[in-house]
Amino acid sequence: MVWDLCVPKLAKIVEVIELTPIEKLFKLEFVSEEDAKVFTFKPGQFIEVSVFGVGEVPISICKSPTRSGPLELAIRRVGRVTNAIHKLKPGDIVGIRGPLGNGFPVEKMRGFDVLFVAGGLGMAPLRSVLQYVIDNRREYGDIIFLYGVRSYREALFRDMAIDMVEHPEKWGLKMFLSYEREDEVFEGLRQKYPERVRKGVVTVLFECADLYIKPDKVCAVIGGPPIMYRFVLKELAKRKIPPERIYLTLERRMKCGVGKCGHCIVGGATAIKYVCKDGPVFTYSDALAVRGLV
Amino acid sequence: MRYVKLFKEKFPEFFEALKKWGEVHAPVKHGKFYSFKRVSSPGEVVLDYNRTMIPPKKFFIKPLEAIMKVKVGRGYEPIAEEPKRLVLLGLHACDINGLRILDTVFMDEPKDPYYATRRENAIIVGVSCKPDDHCFCKSMGADYAWVGFDLFLHDIEHSYIIRVGSLKGEEIVEGLGNLMVEPSQEDFIKFRDFELNRSRMFKRALELSHLPEIADALYNSDLWTKFADKCVGCTSCNLVCPTCRCYDVAENVDLSLKEGVRTRRWDSCFIRSHALVAGGLNFRPTRLDRFKHRYNCKSSMEPRTGLCFCVGCGRCSVFCPAGIDHVEVLNTLWGLT
Ligand SMILES: Cc1cc2nc3c(=O)[nH]c(=O)nc-3n(C[C@H](O)[C@H](O)[C@H](O)COP(=O)(O)OP(=O)(O)OC[C@H]3O[C@@H](n4cnc5c(N)ncnc54)[C@H](O)[C@@H]3O)c2cc1C
Ligand code: SF4
Ligand code: SF4
Ligand code: FES
Repeated sequence: MVWDLCVPKLAKIVEVIELTPIEKLFKLEFVSEEDAKVFTFKPGQFIEVSVFGVGEVPISICKSPTRSGPLELAIRRVGRVTNAIHKLKPGDIVGIRGPLGNGFPVEKMRGFDVLFVAGGLGMAPLRSVLQYVIDNRREYGDIIFLYGVRSYREALFRDMAIDMVEHPEKWGLKMFLSYEREDEVFEGLRQKYPERVRKGVVTVLFECADLYIKPDKVCAVIGGPPIMYRFVLKELAKRKIPPERIYLTLERRMKCGVGKCGHCIVGGATAIKYVCKDGPVFTYSDALAVRGLV
Repeated sequence: MRYVKLFKEKFPEFFEALKKWGEVHAPVKHGKFYSFKRVSSPGEVVLDYNRTMIPPKKFFIKPLEAIMKVKVGRGYEPIAEEPKRLVLLGLHACDINGLRILDTVFMDEPKDPYYATRRENAIIVGVSCKPDDHCFCKSMGADYAWVGFDLFLHDIEHSYIIRVGSLKGEEIVEGLGNLMVEPSQEDFIKFRDFELNRSRMFKRALELSHLPEIADALYNSDLWTKFADKCVGCTSCNLVCPTCRCYDVAENVDLSLKEGVRTRRWDSCFIRSHALVAGGLNFRPTRLDRFKHRYNCKSSMEPRTGLCFCVGCGRCSVFCPAGIDHVEVLNTLWGLT
């Protein structure tokens, strides 16, 4: 019998880092060496994390498989299970099922420039792709990263983002940052780098980045809240980036994560998709064919 | 296909052979309705029934079940029940096809171990039936089961012609020795007459050609509202549907705070929270959205079986307290009424 993807394996929390007032980064290691050995994943895949007696939630792995060390998860506190996770400390044990989902096609993306568009918590799944591309820098063309946040306080991995704005050569990429609410840090950054930092929603960054976006050799990787997709996709369409080279990672309610429980079903009668197993990464072509995907 | 014939007076012996194989469950009458129940004698079995309220899916995905033990701090352990051999006697073709649809979900990799164990330990004995006013399995191509059963009984007056559909079925037939006889040409003629007659009896038909488009392309039609407004969101149609399979998962610890269980239970896409995600965003916020979702889901095709996710059993129409009729909804949308 295949219990493999059914029974959570044990993992120990080895470090907890506060990212924002509502988000924490959890670093986890499998308790059994055997489990650790067989666990391999692709950027953009997710796992189901269990807190004993509380329940299970889907969470993206926010680190690249090219990096050794513990698994990393950026988790926002929103409800029952995520609140319970936020109470855990190093040494505590959780359950893990996965990896689940398809992940980003990093192989197919080889040879292309990569345009990232991240908003809010969408940074979590995109960070794994970003690290992957950086670690395989020669395989990819230009890297352009557009990151939209509400404010400094609410930005995930903001030290990394600011460092990327300030030191593009060191990182080997072009970083653009937008913020909606006034605050000193980002305001200062905007005055120093007006060509890379703007006030407004993430789409205001396209204007700055246009200089570097070459539609015939770029693929786009997008992660963020559902409302963001529509606006971002419009910008990408304007720039004639082919739909099959636009990758989106989506969120739906999930229970099983393996295409059984029916919660994440999307689409109409002519095309049903399960976000958990057919996704969570879809191309914009998929989105055009499957109603209600974005 | 191998055919054998069983005289009806020998049915008790056949029943005993099934009982020897495993626990026999068959339709029995319950007030106005029928339901699959454990039976110990052939007299309890009602083979000429219209439909049970709850379909045979209940044997493979339980309405509510504990699937895992939680040992706080120490891990999860599957609750693996002893495999129990079940004989489901008296399934109609539509229900057999309903199970095939469930198989494409639960037996697909990664297999659902709870479902798979039960499924692999069950034998399915189908029985021929006659449609009532609500049956439309013929238009769904689900009125005939060509796979998915071990034995299939066709009533030809004084005997049954039995189609043997699997090795397990073969073994049972073998075990009965010369109780089973070769059907004659006349038997096959009776078989044909029964089937032709049955085929002509269907009064209800759903337009199958372009069904996915009916639900999908006409998604924004105002006609949906006419029906959705009547719907009270009671979830009955999900519970009685042989292919509805959504489940919810919950976890609880007992008072010791040391042990607990993870349970799953049948869920319904008519429940508000079915597509709710973090931040309060709901992908199907209104009853109309959820109503259309169900019809879209039921109207899609399963490519491996070539079947639709609705097998035309008529249960959702019969048991809808608002009197919403599945066929009427879709045919109205397509402009056929
Ligand atoms: C593929 C995928 C990847 C994700 N990655 C991350 C991540 O990296 N970091 C992160 O913080 N969050 C992520 N999420 C969202 C996260 O799963 C939900 O925030 C979490 O399930 C909420 O559970 P809860 O018990 O804390 O909330 P609840 O108390 O259950 O409810 C709070 C809110 O969360 C919603 N919710 C409940 N269960 C789910 C569910 N299974 N899926 C989505 N929403 C749900 C509820 O509808 C409600 O609005 C991801 C979701 C998916 C589908
Ligand atoms: S949708 Fe209705 S008629 Fe079709 S299989 Fe389900 S319960 Fe039966
Ligand atoms: S059974 Fe009828 S009233 Fe109840 S949810 Fe289904 S369509 Fe609505
Ligand atoms: S999460 Fe259960 S089917 Fe996708």
